[in-house]
Amino acid sequence: MQVFIAQVINGLSLGSIYVLLVTGFNLLLLVAMIIHFSYPQVVVFSMYITWVVLQATGNNLFLGILAGVVSSVVLNLVSAPLFQKVMKKRGEVDINSTMVLSMGIGMIITDVLSHTFNNGLPIAFPDSLSSSAPLLRIGLISVLTGQVWSLAVGIIAVSAFFLLLYRTRPGRAFRAIAEDPNGARLVGIPLLRTGLYSYALSGVLGGIIAVLLAMLLGTASPGLGEQVAHKVLAVSIIAGLGNLAGGLVVGLFLGILEAIVQGYISGSWSNAIAFVIMLVVILVRPRGLFGSKL
Amino acid sequence: MPLPLYYFLAITAVNVLLAWSLYLPYRVAHLHFITVANMAISGYSAAFLVMTLHVPFGWALLVGFALGALVGFIVSLFIGDAPTFAVVIVGFTFIYITRTVIENLKAVGGTMGIFGLPNIGGNPVTHRWVIIAILYGLLLVVGFLIHRFEHSRLGRAASAVFVDKDLAASLGIDIKKLGMLVQTASCTIAGGCGVLYGFIYKSFHLDFFTFALVGIAMTIIFVGGYATLWGSVVLAPILYGVPLLFPAAIQSWRIVIYGAALILVLVLKPEGFITRRFVYSIESFLSGNRKKRNTP
Repeated sequence: MQVFIAQVINGLSLGSIYVLLVTGFNLLLLVAMIIHFSYPQVVVFSMYITWVVLQATGNNLFLGILAGVVSSVVLNLVSAPLFQKVMKKRGEVDINSTMVLSMGIGMIITDVLSHTFNNGLPIAFPDSLSSSAPLLRIGLISVLTGQVWSLAVGIIAVSAFFLLLYRTRPGRAFRAIAEDPNGARLVGIPLLRTGLYSYALSGVLGGIIAVLLAMLLGTASPGLGEQVAHKVLAVSIIAGLGNLAGGLVVGLFLGILEAIVQGYISGSWSNAIAFVIMLVVILVRPRGLFGSKL
Repeated sequence: MPLPLYYFLAITAVNVLLAWSLYLPYRVAHLHFITVANMAISGYSAAFLVMTLHVPFGWALLVGFALGALVGFIVSLFIGDAPTFAVVIVGFTFIYITRTVIENLKAVGGTMGIFGLPNIGGNPVTHRWVIIAILYGLLLVVGFLIHRFEHSRLGRAASAVFVDKDLAASLGIDIKKLGMLVQTASCTIAGGCGVLYGFIYKSFHLDFFTFALVGIAMTIIFVGGYATLWGSVVLAPILYGVPLLFPAAIQSWRIVIYGAALILVLVLKPEGFITRRFVYSIESFLSGNRKKRNTP
């Protein structure tokens, strides 16, 4: 029972990161109307920038976190004109072109990371950011600092995001575009500018996720982005593309499922089992459990 | 045949076949990355048959094709008419699962892979000629079949599905059956391609079947031109050959070069270099010449 509880705690912290990733991914999908498949690669790139700045500044956490967030926002904003250019029609999701473009961006990010930083070897974050000392230990159950932070920040960030979406003017513009882009344009909402806000906002989310992942995992490798990217797309499809509430439920569920499987089955099989379950759901319901918003 | 030329010819042919196996389902707007997993499944199975059960290579190759077709058909029952993003994620998920299963299977060497596959024909020189003959024979057959498909009613139906699924359905096209057909054909090609890929190097290793292979195939299709089968034929040798001319330091950055080329072409020339219009103009030029020659 203790193993189960310990793994549920692990799963909740991991799941909260999946929720943030899926939220950023869905925001881009609903408002900018792109499938940014390599959004998690952008997040991993920010992890590397955070690591570089921490190394250069003698582990100055403030500068490290700031660099992570800024790099994610910049990378997202730089890619925005490319996505706009390949979209055949503004106001419609052009799935194929944007997804292929995003994969191209992902290829470049992954290869640059494996050639430049730390000679392609995995990086390790300092203890000041990812302490492995438990905050609380009861038998087999131990709660780490990174887990508490990722869960707490995850809850705060998602709540703030939903607050922004449902209680503010820009949030209403986001929802209007997601609901009906042409209608939104008719009532005077600038599609392009609001789309750019979504790039910036998902960039901020990406930076936060990068720091949380660094705290939770303590390491990063060039291939991390690819693996997470597939899970994020899978979560998004299982929930129903663009379904924010569905993404929240499925993201948390996947985190817990993965952790529980890891607790009882050896490491290399655990990922495969999580993927098999995702595969079965996608094969049976390709349009998602909670319905697609596209 | 010199070894570098052998590798150039063999890998180019494999790349064209792989690109075609992705090109076919893309005719109905499906990015069917399960082909890479299929290459691994068929390749490892054939290697196991040859090494452990001493099955002749020809039979093992046929089993590879059949296995590819079977996996493709079963999966297509579920995603024959699924949306693009669902097809993409099914492909990626399959690659992950296949890699994990192979990694943990001692019978196929686990993480070490399978080494020391026998020479086809008894010695290394004959082996190379046989592999090249099979690959280019296959290339001709598959190319001819795809060409015929494109000029058939099915090809036109696929074009309609690519442009607008709803419109195609309203015209009476069975989207699911068409999707199943191209997905199964694609997986069959990939199955045979996987067997030959490993026999080129006389070994199988999981590093052969990574996401980088997906990236290479995508670059070949989208930079070469996704609207005709000729784009892959033109770009595969260029993509493999040109980096060989660069110094070793630049060669190691080839995935970045591929990624940059992919992005640039998507932005500047979305249909790729070999467009359908370009192929039509060449076809009409050639048929015009033929007519002139036949006129008394």
